[in-house]
Amino acid sequence: MIRSTFYSLRKLLLVSGVILASGNSRAEEAAALNIVTVNYPLKFFAESITKGSATVNLPMPVDIDPAFWSPKADDVSALQKADVVLLNGANYAKWLPKVSLSLFKMVNTSSQFSDQFIPIESAMKHNHGVGGEHSHTGNAFTTWLDFSLAEQQATAIFKALSKKTPNLSASYVTNFIPLQESLLAIDAELTQIGSSLKGKPLLGSHPVYQYLKKRYQLNLQSVHWEPEDAPSKEQWETLKKILKKHPAKWMLWEGKPAPETVTKLEALGVKSIVFTPCANKPEKGDFLSVMKMNTENLKAIVNEK
Amino acid sequence: MIDSLYLAWRYIVFNRKKTITLITCISLITFLPFALKALLSESEHQLMSRAATTPLLVGAKGNSLDLVMNSLYFSKEEPDFITMKSADEIIDSGLALPIPLYTRFQAREYPIVGTSLDYFEFRHYKIEQGRAFAMLGECLIGADVASKLNLSIGDSILSSPENLFDLAGIYPLKMVITGVLEKTNSADDKAVFVDLKTAWVIQGLGHGHQDVKKMEEAGAIVNQSKNLVTASSKVKQYTEINTDNLESFHFHGDPSIYPLTAIITIPQDDKSATILRGRYLSDQQDQQIVRPKEVIEDLLGNIFRIKDFIDGVVLVVAIAMILAVMLVFSLSLRLRQKEINTIFHLGCSRATVVQLIAAEILIIVLASGILCYLSLLVLQHYQENIVHTLFIS
Repeated sequence: MIRSTFYSLRKLLLVSGVILASGNSRAEEAAALNIVTVNYPLKFFAESITKGSATVNLPMPVDIDPAFWSPKADDVSALQKADVVLLNGANYAKWLPKVSLSLFKMVNTSSQFSDQFIPIESAMKHNHGVGGEHSHTGNAFTTWLDFSLAEQQATAIFKALSKKTPNLSASYVTNFIPLQESLLAIDAELTQIGSSLKGKPLLGSHPVYQYLKKRYQLNLQSVHWEPEDAPSKEQWETLKKILKKHPAKWMLWEGKPAPETVTKLEALGVKSIVFTPCANKPEKGDFLSVMKMNTENLKAIVNEK
Repeated sequence: MIDSLYLAWRYIVFNRKKTITLITCISLITFLPFALKALLSESEHQLMSRAATTPLLVGAKGNSLDLVMNSLYFSKEEPDFITMKSADEIIDSGLALPIPLYTRFQAREYPIVGTSLDYFEFRHYKIEQGRAFAMLGECLIGADVASKLNLSIGDSILSSPENLFDLAGIYPLKMVITGVLEKTNSADDKAVFVDLKTAWVIQGLGHGHQDVKKMEEAGAIVNQSKNLVTASSKVKQYTEINTDNLESFHFHGDPSIYPLTAIITIPQDDKSATILRGRYLSDQQDQQIVRPKEVIEDLLGNIFRIKDFIDGVVLVVAIAMILAVMLVFSLSLRLRQKEINTIFHLGCSRATVVQLIAAEILIIVLASGILCYLSLLVLQHYQENIVHTLFIS
């Protein structure tokens, strides 16, 4: 109840703020913005807000993880032509430090909550030449799996686009509100699921669930497996050791796991469910439908007798 | 009249040394004030044109002239460093847009300017050939750099070591040229532009090297514990960035504390500019914000005060020289008394003698004028470089 009142108040303030801002700003001719995003969730948020009044592109192929894309010079030249480049922040898009983009056009959608980033602890440090001891890791980056943060990212996009094209801000408000409501609804549902799980031990197939774990208080421990690859003997041994201390009966997968892996896991008493971060464009549906599916899959654990 | 001019010409040719001395003196004294005026107006043009189009400049507290000269004209006077955090703060304030600059390194005597792509949009520059830098290790060169070093797209240029005797220092970086800027008649023609991150790689804040794990067998790992690997100098560090080794390049530490020399700051409006300037007024603040136009106007004010003084000196010298020329002519008339008597004996009038002398003076003054004009043409050709060397570099 308190949360719902808080969000309603926040929404009211946001809407009135934007209307005031658009009232003050000089009316400009509408020009279709060329927006580029670094992952699919941001593309979905931008598309939901602009609803066809802008072109929103995700430049990498659908079969790769956008965080580890390696753009070529031609790809970067195309990115340089964008009006707005939406960044995820939190060290997402490992290619970003290696390319040249306009500072004016980049919008870091997570800068408002950088204090909530989750550092990756098991980073191997090394030391060579000048510069002393260092490591190459930073923060966990699947921020949007905490839906309260996803809502803040969507808000950052909404504000940036409203500032960029003030003449369209009224339509952005209309489009943004349902998106915001959907994200907050998923957040509320996952919070409910998290509390219903009551600390039940879970496994993650890949270290991408840090924000999900933190926000929804999941007792989750991750291994480093790929859905399509059969785990090695060492990986199975590591899992068995984990299971001794962390007797999980469910493993969350980024994608549909190989049937042999599922069978072998079941032999160890671990069932598999898919909870995809949806970093790239899904084959079917959109971000919200995939996340609703993820939520339904998690409910299976809650409903387990 | 033609006869008088002919006789005067023959006299002048006969007395070459005296004539050359007179022409040189008159040319010099005429050339000096014009040359000074031309150089000063060129320096005013060069200095003010960039200063007037650069609204605000943020840099470390200290000599504001060094900050402006380094940031706008890439002079070698290096201001103290600020950090990237300052640029982030300007963005976060929502009052202005920042264009960071890092002008510390050189490539074959030309300054390497680390900046963002926004710099070229801000200056309204077009790329004559090729494209802007897109990847780490790429550069865009000014028109003069391209013509003087005979470089074009696809060629490469090495960054120069800061100190030749620092054998353990950072490696030079071989940068690939992806584009040549159109001629701008500004300091940008003589600059090598790179992305800020490339400038930080030159400094050694970012680097690429062989995979330490793959080098284990070659004895590259000196020490290895659970969380720390210490590698030896056997691990090869790359001195150029290409598609094969780009993935290995990485940066150490927090990028927000990486150095900058200045930030060109473009306020949203006058009110934003005033608010922003107010934020840098505190005594505790280790940064300053300046209006480059005001700094350059101060500098030009000093230069023009010196010019006024020099003008006064030139005037006195000119008067002295005119008197000396008059003396030369009057002494010359005395020495030529016999020659003048012969002219009278031949039946010529006093007016003919005056006509002869006037023709000599006319030829000398005309020759001096032509020499002065030609010298000014030469000066005009080189004045941009002279001003850059005298007032900017």
